[in-house]
Amino acid sequence: MIRRKLTLAAAVVTISAISLTACSGGGNEPAADLTSVSIMAPFLEAQPPSADGAVQKKLEELTGKDININWTPNSSYEDKTNITLAGSDIPQIMVIQGKTPGFVKNAEAGAFWDLTDKLDKYPNLKTTFPDIQENASINGKVYGVYRGRAPMRAAVMFRQDWLDKLGLQAPKTTEDLYKVAKAFTEQDPDGNGQNDTWGITIPKWGALGTNSPYDLIEEWYGAGNRWTEKDGKLIPSFETDEFLEANRFVKKMVDEKLINPDFATFDGTKWNEPFFNGKGGIIVDVDSRVSVLVNLFKQADPNNFQNKVGFVGNLEGPDGELHAHPTDGYSGFLAVPKASVRTEAELDKVLEVLNTLNGKEVATLLNNGIEGVNFTVEDGKAATIKPETPEGKAVSTDIKSYAQLGMNVAGNNFYPVKQASDYEQQVFDKRTEVMAEDLKSAVYNPAAPYVSATYVAKGAQLDNIVADARIKYLAGQLDEQGLKDAIKLWDTSGGNKVKEEINKLWQDNK
Amino acid sequence: MAAPVVEAEASGRAASRPPARERKNAKFSVHFAHYKWLYLLLLPGVLYFAIFRYGPMYGVSIAFKDYVPFLGVNGSRWVGTQHFEDFFSNPDFPRLLGNTLILAFLNLGIAFPLTIVLALLLNEVRLSILKRTVQTLVYIPHFLSWTIVASLSFLLFALDIGPMFQFLNNVLGTNIDFLSDPAWFRPLIVLQEIWKNTGWGTIIFLAALATVDQDQYEAAIIDGAGRFRRVWHITLPGIRSTIIVMLILAIGQMLNTGFEQIYLMTNALNRDVADVFDTYVYFVGITQGAYSYSTAVGLFKSLVGLVLIFGTNWLAKRFNQSGLF
Repeated sequence: MIRRKLTLAAAVVTISAISLTACSGGGNEPAADLTSVSIMAPFLEAQPPSADGAVQKKLEELTGKDININWTPNSSYEDKTNITLAGSDIPQIMVIQGKTPGFVKNAEAGAFWDLTDKLDKYPNLKTTFPDIQENASINGKVYGVYRGRAPMRAAVMFRQDWLDKLGLQAPKTTEDLYKVAKAFTEQDPDGNGQNDTWGITIPKWGALGTNSPYDLIEEWYGAGNRWTEKDGKLIPSFETDEFLEANRFVKKMVDEKLINPDFATFDGTKWNEPFFNGKGGIIVDVDSRVSVLVNLFKQADPNNFQNKVGFVGNLEGPDGELHAHPTDGYSGFLAVPKASVRTEAELDKVLEVLNTLNGKEVATLLNNGIEGVNFTVEDGKAATIKPETPEGKAVSTDIKSYAQLGMNVAGNNFYPVKQASDYEQQVFDKRTEVMAEDLKSAVYNPAAPYVSATYVAKGAQLDNIVADARIKYLAGQLDEQGLKDAIKLWDTSGGNKVKEEINKLWQDNK
Repeated sequence: MAAPVVEAEASGRAASRPPARERKNAKFSVHFAHYKWLYLLLLPGVLYFAIFRYGPMYGVSIAFKDYVPFLGVNGSRWVGTQHFEDFFSNPDFPRLLGNTLILAFLNLGIAFPLTIVLALLLNEVRLSILKRTVQTLVYIPHFLSWTIVASLSFLLFALDIGPMFQFLNNVLGTNIDFLSDPAWFRPLIVLQEIWKNTGWGTIIFLAALATVDQDQYEAAIIDGAGRFRRVWHITLPGIRSTIIVMLILAIGQMLNTGFEQIYLMTNALNRDVADVFDTYVYFVGITQGAYSYSTAVGLFKSLVGLVLIFGTNWLAKRFNQSGLF
């Protein structure tokens, strides 16, 4: 009996050892009948959508497949992506949120299908924005169907009621921004007789090149978008004089208390609160926050929420020119791991599923919901059905997550959302208009498609040197020389190599 | 810590009753058949270590490889000690080592003795109901997650509005932002550690205190010894071996500076003093996918831990105390 036990124990040990070594494999279907597709995707809501909800059912009906979506919280998505790739249960389609080092390494080792010459065969996967597809590529190799996003999103939001009370104009230049912030701080815009307001609220958001308020102001000053061309070479934007100027400008505002003093630690999820509660009157962020803010005021007082939130797009820099800040136009991509999709024939089936996901029917489902349940079409726009039924509400909640699967590589293949009131529609239309206008002055990142090997190995640590120094400089822990020294340290710790590699890639692809 | 104890017990039992004189050529199978139930008792401990402790060590080999998940542990390229060289020549290295050791010694030097002090204090409480109530109350923080402890700290020390911020700055006559000032990072971390874990740590000491011979106290009282004399000459020597064992165990855990706690309290302004091995491994390994490099860092940390635990054990034996092994 003991012997049998020991054999069993030995078997257990052996099996666990085998499962430790086996890092590939996972549930895959024979190509002939791909009946189910597994997808890993992030969700940003408090709860993932339910697996038997109406949207899920409709999605399976429209695609004719069992769609198994592994919803993963957005906050830990990147960790989970790396861990999933190192594990054995790899989905057939993975939403990858960006060209992270983990992804690049795996892709270059051949973990994902190279789709560069394959996508054009599928009518809904052929992009109408080849530049964005190029941006999402790794040195020209396309490893996924990118998730298209409006490239122009930067906006300055301010308390319109405060502005009106103080008789000020909406800012047009960075200098105006300073004046408004100063007035909001010093001239008692809420009229309570106390000196308890500040100008701009900035949350804990230090990392470089993440469209943070600092990044936006630097670009408006003309520092460029991550990389910029100078004397025929590409240099990181923080090596320009404009970068230093822009940060001198921000530091002046910090020193004069025009920015919340806890900008280095303030929790980003509470960003709207000081604005809404009348503490800090300005937010520099993406324009979609305008609608979020309007909605906050609407919930508090449905009869009197107009003219609380004003906004403008990008601001002119001190050189009198508009350097508008665009994103790279995509938010990650949907990639197909080779470990779970073994053959070209299987890949074809999976891409067909993606093609269906990008078609009008499914795109409408993922982004608008189910017509007649949560929305109706009015003047070519999707209007939410009021009053909301429980089913309609469930669908509206679920699509906030399902929209994460949308790629829209050929423009938005669904209905624009009709806003709840005329005022909100006006705000929305103005947003669209301002962003379209700013897009004409967009300064893109010239190095977006290029991935340097050194940057993959230690880019994040390198960037952290400058990112932390920037915050320390603003907080007064470092002087300007200290900031410059940090930038030098970036160079000598490996940055020079990054520059070399990026410039070579740039020259080769010119 | 439950598992090693189980194993120690199991092996202890197996080893404590060997036949007085085993014949040299007695076959192992006879011996085995004779003690089969004892070996069976040993089995869970052996399996636990084989599967959860020794099995994963196979993965340590990626510290010497350029590991790419897609290629697997076997398929990845060997690079020798390159990751270690990179790490030791990295400007981050002295900073990480310093931060980790400073925090570790602060926790050991402040939080560990406080646990003993609290246990002694609790032991001196005569009113049973009061003792029990206080004991329960000081255990509670242990069950709160670090996320909650960090959130509480953020509320209490928030710039301008936190009650502790206002109180301390009024008392000290300063205007310190405790959450971002690098000088206050370590005190905050140690304070949190004390608040969360001191009470819980008293459990073993209280158990040890219960075993101290009561007759000695009576004798001491008759000899006219006061409370402090009794604590110093009877109680402390009585629990000395427990203290040594707990100290060795604490030193073994010392470099595990509490990833969650430090990660949650870190920001751009205090990162210079906040970065420790654990957060660095997370930052480099998990978020940047540099598995090999971070494994090398983790391995180095384990080696330092091993040296510390052997060192303390040796010291304990040196001073005529029973060591752990």
